[in-house]
Amino acid sequence: MSAIITLSLLAVLLLYLGLFKAKKALLPVSLLGLLAAIVLYSIQWDTDAEPLYSGMVLFDHFAVAFSILSLFITGLVFLLSRDYFDSISEHVAEYYALIIFSLTGALLVVSFHNLAMLFIGIEIMSVALYILVGIRKRDFSSNEAALKYFLMGAFSTGFLLFGITLIYGATGSFDLTEIKNYLIANPHSISPLFYSGILLLIIGLSFKVGAAPFHFWTPDVYEGAPILITTFMSTVVKTAAFAGFLRLFLTCFVPLQDFWAPVLLVITVLTLFIGNISALAQQSFKRMLAYSSISHAGYMLFGILSIGAASAGAIFVYSAAYSIASVVAFAVLILVKRSRGSEHFEAFNGLAAKNPYLAFTLSVAMLSLAGIPLTAGFVGKFMMFSGVLANYHIVLLLLAVLNAAMGIYYYFRVIVAMYFRPADREEVTVNANYKAVLFIGALLTIAIGIFPSLLAGWL
Amino acid sequence: MSVFYFVAFLSIFFALMTIFTKNAVHSVLYLVITFFTFTIHYILLNAQFLAVVNFIVYMGAIMVLFLFVLMLLNLNKDTEPLKSNLIKIIGVIAGLCLVVTIAGSLKLLETSNPVVLKDPGIGLVSNLGKVLFSEFLLPFEISSILLLTAMVGAVLLAKNETKKI
Repeated sequence: MSAIITLSLLAVLLLYLGLFKAKKALLPVSLLGLLAAIVLYSIQWDTDAEPLYSGMVLFDHFAVAFSILSLFITGLVFLLSRDYFDSISEHVAEYYALIIFSLTGALLVVSFHNLAMLFIGIEIMSVALYILVGIRKRDFSSNEAALKYFLMGAFSTGFLLFGITLIYGATGSFDLTEIKNYLIANPHSISPLFYSGILLLIIGLSFKVGAAPFHFWTPDVYEGAPILITTFMSTVVKTAAFAGFLRLFLTCFVPLQDFWAPVLLVITVLTLFIGNISALAQQSFKRMLAYSSISHAGYMLFGILSIGAASAGAIFVYSAAYSIASVVAFAVLILVKRSRGSEHFEAFNGLAAKNPYLAFTLSVAMLSLAGIPLTAGFVGKFMMFSGVLANYHIVLLLLAVLNAAMGIYYYFRVIVAMYFRPADREEVTVNANYKAVLFIGALLTIAIGIFPSLLAGWL
Repeated sequence: MSVFYFVAFLSIFFALMTIFTKNAVHSVLYLVITFFTFTIHYILLNAQFLAVVNFIVYMGAIMVLFLFVLMLLNLNKDTEPLKSNLIKIIGVIAGLCLVVTIAGSLKLLETSNPVVLKDPGIGLVSNLGKVLFSEFLLPFEISSILLLTAMVGAVLLAKNETKKI
């Protein structure tokens, strides 16, 4: 809890720094704050986790691991933010504060133990994002993205809230343990309200994680938002939403698996196919990444579908691999867009000749996203698929492999463009922060790929 | 009981008026009255807090916002887009779906026991406050972050940018 309080105070401190025009101090102070939060979480690792504040939050290993991952990825995003927000507007401090607020919401979502906290966490996370998406006030696509995200988000929140209400109506409690006890105590006389509640919760959460058929806001919002915000959304927010999704289903709804698994199965298959097939047709790298993030949501749903003791670890490794690779990909995209002014695949032509370092790190990221062995993405996919195989969903596994093959095609397009399509271009200037992020990203991707136990042992 | 039937009649009557009036502003005004009858229902059900919130937030704030938007939009017959037959058919289908749903749920309906409150103080403001400041203290405090976020965001969006992009 002390980490969440630290972060809230950090955001307020950043607002004050903005008031006193201390722009230089923003980035170091926020990074220090994130570091402090990581330290505070790591101290909690070995202590016995008990629900705190009359059962509102629970900082068990699951919560701590996902929190540290979110904090770490946010740190990487912050490192990329040097000089980035200055080009958009002069109110830089507010953007840092909003990202920190959104992160606070994400941390609440991964550590909730009461549906009221889940709701408040998701709201804090989303409200900050609605604004961040629309910070380019004079850019129409940014405005469109913000409005679309806001309307869709508000709509999906309605579903989520209605689901929570129905579950409360059936069980008389918001507390996860109480809900679980209700299910165990009445295995044969579960109120019909409870079933409708689960369905509505699935709809609401699918909206938030961007799973088909509730994905339609994702491509436009990811494309319209500033790239850095897209990075934050597709990594931290997605990870947190999945962690919340999994935590809810893992603690409460396992006894009713026969009821919700078919629904989730349909959602998973749709998500995989829609994400991958649409990604094949894209010409813009950013939009391709948006669709690929939908398809990755499909893979992550496997973890919830084959729910069990191993699924937390699988989702953790998968989201870590996916987030790190995405940060690298978006970082290179920011640099390329800055020099060429375009997000299309052609803008990457000949990058390898002038910037071998950039091209190499982006290739590592793409290989990881595609799930090639010796990268983190492979380990993540392997853990997901073995979970599915353990439940004998052979057909699902075949579909997933087919989709992974499609993924390889569009991820390799950018590698081909960089290495085999010569083009006249100037060298892209890379500042030290970007170099550091690319280095950390590529190193971690390969390190996790070779030594999976680095992460897999956490959960 | 007679009060309930009278107020229920008023609710349904004004709800129907909301749908059937041609003038949009009148329609909103009828909706305000409908919400007011809801407030009376809440008081009859001993839900003080809900009644007050419904009265202040829905009737007071949101419906006035509705009215303002409607007046700014300046709706009249000329600006109304022509609805194609397809849309009308879809509307009829959607409406019939709703009827089927309502009929289905009415079939499942049982008469509940006469409402006898186990805890007569359940809807009172003081009890709500006690729960809010004991069991639900953390969500209550955390919502301050939500409000602060929304406030910062609103100011940020409304502020004039001096630097052109």
